[in-house]
Amino acid sequence: MRERKKSSAVEVSSVKKKKEKKTKDNNEPREQKEKEESQSIMKQQKNTTSRSKKEKQRKATEDYQSLRESELSGDEVHGTDHDVDNADDHHEEDQTDGSEGHRGVEESDSSEDEVAPRNTIGDVPLEWYKDEKHIGYDISGKKITKKERQDKLASFLANVDDSKSWRKIYDEYNDEEVELTKEEIRLVQRLLKGKAPHTDFDQYADYVDWFKYDDALHPLSNAPEPKRRFIPSKWESKKVVQYVRAIRKGLIKFDEPKEEEPKFYLLWGDDSSAAEKANHLAYIPAPKPKLPGHEESYNPSLEYIPTQEELNSYQLMYEEDRPKFIPRRFTSLRSVPAYENAVKDSFERCMDLYLCPRVRKKRVNIDPETLKPKLPSRKDLKPYPVACYLEYKGHKGAVVSISTEASGQWFASGSTDGTVRIWEVESGRCLRVLEIGEAIQYVAWNPLPELPVLAVSAGQDVLILNTGLGNEEEQRRVKDLLHVETPTAPDVLDLGLVEDHLLKNLLLALMFTLDGVFGRMASQGRLPLHVFHPTRSIFFVSTKKNIRVYDLLKQRLIKKLETGLKEVSSIAIHPAGDNLIVGSREGKLCWFDMDLSSKPYRVLKCHPKDITNVAFHRSYPLFASCSDDCTAYVFHGMVYSDLNQNPLIVPLEILRGHTSSNGRGVMDCKFHPRQPWLFTAGADSVIRLYCH
Amino acid sequence: MDMNIETPEDQNEENSRRVQVRFKTKLKPPQKVPSNSIAIPSNLTRFGLSSVVNNLLQAVNPEWKSEPFDFLINGELVRMSLEQFLLAKGISAEKVLEIEYIKAVAPQKEEEPSLHDDWVSAVDGSNPGFILTGCYDNLGRVWKAGGVCTHILEGHCGAVSSVNIIKSDVCFAACAGLKYVTVATASKDQTLRLWKVCSGSWDCTISLWRTNDSDAAGNQVSIKKRKGNNQVEEPQLEGEAISTLVGHTQCVSSVVWPQQETIYSASWDHSVRTWDVEMGKDLSDIFCGKALNCIDIGGEGSALIAAGGSDPILRIWDPRKPGTSAPVFQFSSHNSWISACKWHNKSWFHLISASYDGKVMLWDLRTAWPLSVIDSHKDKVLCADWWRGDSVISGGVDSKLCVSSGVSIQ
Repeated sequence: MRERKKSSAVEVSSVKKKKEKKTKDNNEPREQKEKEESQSIMKQQKNTTSRSKKEKQRKATEDYQSLRESELSGDEVHGTDHDVDNADDHHEEDQTDGSEGHRGVEESDSSEDEVAPRNTIGDVPLEWYKDEKHIGYDISGKKITKKERQDKLASFLANVDDSKSWRKIYDEYNDEEVELTKEEIRLVQRLLKGKAPHTDFDQYADYVDWFKYDDALHPLSNAPEPKRRFIPSKWESKKVVQYVRAIRKGLIKFDEPKEEEPKFYLLWGDDSSAAEKANHLAYIPAPKPKLPGHEESYNPSLEYIPTQEELNSYQLMYEEDRPKFIPRRFTSLRSVPAYENAVKDSFERCMDLYLCPRVRKKRVNIDPETLKPKLPSRKDLKPYPVACYLEYKGHKGAVVSISTEASGQWFASGSTDGTVRIWEVESGRCLRVLEIGEAIQYVAWNPLPELPVLAVSAGQDVLILNTGLGNEEEQRRVKDLLHVETPTAPDVLDLGLVEDHLLKNLLLALMFTLDGVFGRMASQGRLPLHVFHPTRSIFFVSTKKNIRVYDLLKQRLIKKLETGLKEVSSIAIHPAGDNLIVGSREGKLCWFDMDLSSKPYRVLKCHPKDITNVAFHRSYPLFASCSDDCTAYVFHGMVYSDLNQNPLIVPLEILRGHTSSNGRGVMDCKFHPRQPWLFTAGADSVIRLYCH
Repeated sequence: MDMNIETPEDQNEENSRRVQVRFKTKLKPPQKVPSNSIAIPSNLTRFGLSSVVNNLLQAVNPEWKSEPFDFLINGELVRMSLEQFLLAKGISAEKVLEIEYIKAVAPQKEEEPSLHDDWVSAVDGSNPGFILTGCYDNLGRVWKAGGVCTHILEGHCGAVSSVNIIKSDVCFAACAGLKYVTVATASKDQTLRLWKVCSGSWDCTISLWRTNDSDAAGNQVSIKKRKGNNQVEEPQLEGEAISTLVGHTQCVSSVVWPQQETIYSASWDHSVRTWDVEMGKDLSDIFCGKALNCIDIGGEGSALIAAGGSDPILRIWDPRKPGTSAPVFQFSSHNSWISACKWHNKSWFHLISASYDGKVMLWDLRTAWPLSVIDSHKDKVLCADWWRGDSVISGGVDSKLCVSSGVSIQ
């Protein structure tokens, strides 16, 4: 019976009626029937509980809505005694049905059943009766007249006085005022909170397992607990390993915590930048016209108003350069005339908007300065030759070749006028003039200071000259040496001279000439340039485009350096022996690092004309190139003993001063052996000394 | 009592400010002006100030002949307009300015140059009676005042690179022509006396040579027999280098021996070294970054080192200043290498420098501009010296010995 109470009132009453019927019919099968029915009821109840709950909720919300409406609407009508009586009648009627039914009604939250509506018009719009004097008909068909309307003031006063007025709702349908009971209010409140309407209904009740295990003889399965329930899963661990590997490999990436975008945006920012951020098709706003400033004012300050001179100067300007607006002064706004350019301006603005090619240009924003290699400052690389302080004048023809003495006190120069001159470096005095009679091609000083001997190549001959310098003992030795001197091979252009291992190298090199390296070159009508390694027995010969490196002891080719130049004009080797510079006829200078590759480490394109000679300094990290464009370039060429560090090449200075003669500029350059000074021999028959 | 003096520069006097000055001097009374303060326009330069002083002197002494003066404010020579000078030095123009005047140091006249056969490489004027020159034609010459060559010293087989007079009556010429050093001295009284001398050379060493006077003293040779004399001398001298000072890494270009115990040397290895003669060791060295050609000792307390080299800057060091090797003065008005520099032997402030740009400049330590530029040579000047305390002698590539006299240094 407890369950029955929970059922809806309709069912309860139907059951009641059936019960009464059955009691009337027969009593014997009553028990059975009752049992069946109770079961069916239970089933029904299951179905209906959910439905009825929904209904209840719906109704409650309706009630609440109407309650709110009534509260909001000022013109509600209070219920009268008649209403109350009516309600009481209903109660009495219900009570006659039986105590059980009454209890059920009391317990039930459905108001539909307990109070039959007084009005019987049904579900029709109430506005049909808006203009009538009645609101509808009662059950007996009589008109229910509208109650008199209280005026607002009276109803307000009544509201204020009545402490229960907040619980009262005006029922428009029945034209009566309903006072909600406290229980009903609580129910509404609970619903508003989202709880179940009744306190005794547990939403989260324990699940009742209707299947009975207790009296079952056998379990559903008698199989023993499998082993897998007790050991860790193999597949699981495999899967884990798979994941771990994937994570380690970076195949699985975890979401990085999202950067929080600022909630605020720049209200006054430029529209164009805001449009850029959007993903959709870019909207490119039109450029905004310039806002008027002080000068556009009708009465600008005096400094904005151009003077007569300025106005005249505007007339001299080009049409485009003239200022668009010339500020003028007016005493009042009234006297400002119409703007004569208004139409033109707006037309131009329209044309601007229409014609302006609004294309977003993707521009790589790189400062070109950053692309430049970082070079040390020239100041830090001092000393290097900077200015010409001394000139050595005396030759009549172009000076072709110069050579410095080992100590740096003297140097010799050879010229096309057929003389070799020996100069004192310090004072610029010409000490000796040696007449050869033929144009000099090359001069070289003996690298040994104790034998001041000079080798000169002129025409077909190589001459070994006594310079006459040095003290008597040295002179005697020189004379001894020159007495036994025999002429050397005629086709050697350059003499590396007498130093012991160099002599050996020279002899070996001469053997090569027989092998045909030189012979082939000579057959092409050119004489090859060559240079010896300063410490090892390695020999560099230039062909027209390449440099061949020979090991003289093993007599074989070690390397072939590809210059990529059109024609090699000069080569020089770094005093440490691992670096080589090559000058070319097209004005390019190649720096070879022998350890790196057979391609040039750096190619410097500096001279506009032929490079005539290149030179390394013996002790300072300097090298120079001279060219037919009458300049000599000085570079810083630092070679590090650390093999991992590549040579540092910094252009330092352009030395000018020579003048061009017969299309030739500077013919030769040599560094002073001890000072950072550079001698340059010019085709203008002057030798210059550039000092630091 | 204020006086307004009309000077040549007073034309635009109206718009220039005036400064209260008082002139003072250490000169003798005829050149002394009354020590009243006077107001002069502030745009006056040295020339204007000089004419002011001359006018004042003329007011006192009507027979006064005007004469150039130089002006010192707070120990510095005025080389711009007075206003600029005061602004630059931050001196208040409100107070009475004390200006000291001295005689302007500038050569008064140029004497007729004495012609040589070849480049004049060395000159020495330490004897007031004569000038000794060395020449590239292997000869040394002795000149009297007025350009008269009295003696020709032969004997060297290489160009004479340096000459020096030892004591008042003895001169000596050294030649470092061909890696060996011959020392020959000749003097008016035709006696030879050799003293302890030192020489620098291209083999990076400085050699000390001792010569005993005994053999030379008796060796009375007339000037006409000088050739024979030298042949006698040579073998004797070669063995007598008593000590060698090693330390320079490049050629020693210049050596001075101002005192008994120390030698100063300049070298192409960019250093100036001080040597102790007895110990034969170097006491200190100063690096300057340029190859040096010449050195001289003088100035305040005979301690300042002046040196010039392969750049147009004449540098002056004070070796007594601890801690730094930065030069105390740098004079850079030349255009080319400096070939010679010499201190005045009396004045602490004055020195001359000769340069390859053909100019000899006269310097005062109290100003950064040259006092005067002697532009008498047409080519490189190789040597320069003071003579008699009031003349500058110089020789150069144009084979001339120029004498500029009348330099008044009190």
